[in-house]
Amino acid sequence: MVSVASFAKDVARETALKSAEMSRFEAQVNADAKALGNLLDDGLEYTHSNGDLDTKASFIDSLVTGKRDYISSTATIETVRIFGDVGVIRGKAKVTVGGKDRQPQDLSIGYTDIWLWKNGRWQMTAWRSARLPAPDAK
Amino acid sequence: MRLHFLLLLLVSLPVTTLASPRGDESSARTALLARFDAALHADVAALDKLLADDLEYCGVSATCSTKAQYLDSVRSGARKFRSLVPRIERVTLFADSAVLTGKVYAVSIGDGTERNVDAYFLVVLAWRDGRWQMTNQSSTLLQPKPKT
Repeated sequence: MVSVASFAKDVARETALKSAEMSRFEAQVNADAKALGNLLDDGLEYTHSNGDLDTKASFIDSLVTGKRDYISSTATIETVRIFGDVGVIRGKAKVTVGGKDRQPQDLSIGYTDIWLWKNGRWQMTAWRSARLPAPDAK
Repeated sequence: MRLHFLLLLLVSLPVTTLASPRGDESSARTALLARFDAALHADVAALDKLLADDLEYCGVSATCSTKAQYLDSVRSGARKFRSLVPRIERVTLFADSAVLTGKVYAVSIGDGTERNVDAYFLVVLAWRDGRWQMTNQSSTLLQPKPKT
């Protein structure tokens, strides 16, 4: 039987997870290394939609040095599921990304990311994204 | 008195607490490999057991399917493979779930043509009813190999 306290805890964790997700998108656009340091798990596996791979260190470094520049991002969370200390978010995002030696590019992606509840906060440990099909030019 | 209380407590525990150990890394790997094998052989009955009812299956085109949609696509032949070679690279276990990442080298068949679909996968398994069930798979195409 699910107690009221347990239900309230689940709701609070889900709210915190959604908030962490949005904070992470914002921190990426702001290249905020400190915020990302808290929001990303040390074991992060970040797979970009073009197949590029990053660890936590290489991902933050790419943003801080401007190698990769998230000019804007608008995310829509579609589903949030929590399995104990693991959170799974699926969503879509429109991202404009540029950087050194890279022309800004508008991308529409579908993504799944995995979060862990560690040390009293959510930390993203995996990200996979794929480019959404272009709308039919009818 | 204390002994009686302990016995009563033990008897009142759910059977699953005593009888079903949690899945381990080896069983998580086995479950995922069985899932790929069942997909290769279009074994709908096996997939039905290996996939959770709340499955989210997101392919390399970022299009997501439910369990029913996924099974329909296998049953109808819309989702068909000549080969599927998975390589599990990382398994992280939690209390009732496991996260697995790796690569899969696939040759899919559609409209009479074969297509190489090599991808990174991210899979979440949930431990339910005494077995692992896949509740999410999301994939990203591997970068094409540079031409030599």
